[in-house]
Amino acid sequence: MHKIIRKLLGKLNIVFALVLSVMMAGGLGGATYVLASSTSNFTQTINAGTLAVDIVDGSYVTVDNPTMAMSAATFSFSCQTKTGSFGTASEVIYVSNPDAADNGWTVSLAAQATTNVWDSAGTDFDFNDPTDSGCTDGADADAFGGQMTVDASVGTLAVGQCVSCGTANITKGSSAAFSEGTTNTITILTGDALSDDIGDWKLTGVSISQKIPAEQPAATDYNINMVLSIAAS
Amino acid sequence: MRIFVISLAILTSVVFASSVFAIEYGGFGGRPAYPRADNPRTESIFVHTLEPGDIQKEGVLTVNNSAERKTILVYAVDSTPSTGGAFACAQASDARKDVGAWITLEKGEVTLEPGTNELVPFTIRVPQNASVGEHNGCIVMQEKKEPVKGQSGASLSFRTGLRVAITIPGELTRKLEIVGFTVTKKDDGGFLLHPLVKNLGNVSIDADARVITRYFFGLTHFIHGGQYPILRAETSDWNFELKKPFWGGWYRSSFAVEYDENPEAGVGIKSGKELTRLEGPSVWFFSFPTPAGLAIEVVVLLALASVGFLFWLSRKRKRWIKENWVSYEIKTGEDIKSLAERFDVSWKLIAKVNKLKPPYALKQGEKIKVPPRG
Repeated sequence: MHKIIRKLLGKLNIVFALVLSVMMAGGLGGATYVLASSTSNFTQTINAGTLAVDIVDGSYVTVDNPTMAMSAATFSFSCQTKTGSFGTASEVIYVSNPDAADNGWTVSLAAQATTNVWDSAGTDFDFNDPTDSGCTDGADADAFGGQMTVDASVGTLAVGQCVSCGTANITKGSSAAFSEGTTNTITILTGDALSDDIGDWKLTGVSISQKIPAEQPAATDYNINMVLSIAAS
Repeated sequence: MRIFVISLAILTSVVFASSVFAIEYGGFGGRPAYPRADNPRTESIFVHTLEPGDIQKEGVLTVNNSAERKTILVYAVDSTPSTGGAFACAQASDARKDVGAWITLEKGEVTLEPGTNELVPFTIRVPQNASVGEHNGCIVMQEKKEPVKGQSGASLSFRTGLRVAITIPGELTRKLEIVGFTVTKKDDGGFLLHPLVKNLGNVSIDADARVITRYFFGLTHFIHGGQYPILRAETSDWNFELKKPFWGGWYRSSFAVEYDENPEAGVGIKSGKELTRLEGPSVWFFSFPTPAGLAIEVVVLLALASVGFLFWLSRKRKRWIKENWVSYEIKTGEDIKSLAERFDVSWKLIAKVNKLKPPYALKQGEKIKVPPRG
């Protein structure tokens, strides 16, 4: 008799464990099943995203290693200005604020360090030396002339993928030139406290112009590291 | 068998105990880990009022909402004014002298799988010699990337900064001054409205800046503006774009700014008292109408000119009739039609000048006015 009871209890434990496992597994799919209850609780959380700036293509896919190419320059005995467009159809400046910064934000452009230069295997040139309108080397630490000007006001601002947001209360930055120690960061876009809390925006056609000093050696590898930042304010 | 089943049950309970969906948008970044209910601004940025020597524990929730595993550098820097007085974060390479130097993060980088987040605690230690007023810095999240070699042009990297605003109590001054307002014409025919406001105080001020553009006769054409933080001792300026006015003509843009001057106000905190309003200069400017506007204006002007000309012609004719038509006595057998044929005018004009009513009967001997011929 005792043996039979023990066997039955043993089988009952197995059945109990199986039922328990089915109950726990009910959590899969967001639903929790409780015995003796005819209702199910479905839970779902939508977390606020993060404020971000990026360069994306026309399908909003992040562009790996984006660059801003300047128009090709030819060796010249005089100081010359070359232009480029920051934000193109295939490399769009993309700002998204998924309810992360409700009181405004700023997108700004700066070099990775104020001492950076347009670097090449040969002679470099500067991006933030205002001496002689950027044509000659001045008082900064390096020995190179050159100055970059950024003008976001001529760019084209548009709404991204959001359905209900607009471009109201978002302003483009003024034209400004980098000047070491004086203008290290240039404003590209500002969203004020009344701009849409949930929205995404595209900016193209920001004008970049670069003064290249006279007799700058020809090279195809001039490169500078810039940082595009977005800051919640 | 029993042990296996029980283990399975325990494992299942651990894995799925709090199973919920978490949906987040793309990108990476972070947000304050401990927002306070008394200041909604703390959901976006870090705001504290601390005495010199205070130590404040805080945390930033780093988030990777992108579809890739990312290693994110987390670091503190001072704030730096961007052009236009906008708030920006200094670069990692810049020397930390203010809030950036007061912050110690427990981790310098985090590696996050897609859709995950991690709390990075940090401590703010206010130095004993911290000056009264507001000090700003940033907690920055930047993707760790190896530089690409052999690339030509400007290589770009991206980062997200969260403002850290620390106010040291004392004599806090909240004062703004309008330092300029200009209107410049753009190449596309539109206008750039450019106001400038300087913060004379030692704390940042959230200002409500407004540019109202009115038609010549005072009717409002467009209102630009918004609420912007104006940083301590900085001058902020904004570019408001006014599209080329459809109708053209003379317009007047006026700038005004409102802010909370009361000392009880702070970052994300309103005093609830009356706001201070500063009126800036007004700028008149002329805009040529758009082609469609010009076409409509020309048509309306031509129509008005035609109406005016017809009115003038009518007045002139009336005056001529009054001065030149002569009195005539109706003879036997004459009626209004015969008179009209005789004097070569319409019978209606004779009836109108003499105010005759239907059936326009004329009696013999009756005197009426007729043209000076016949």
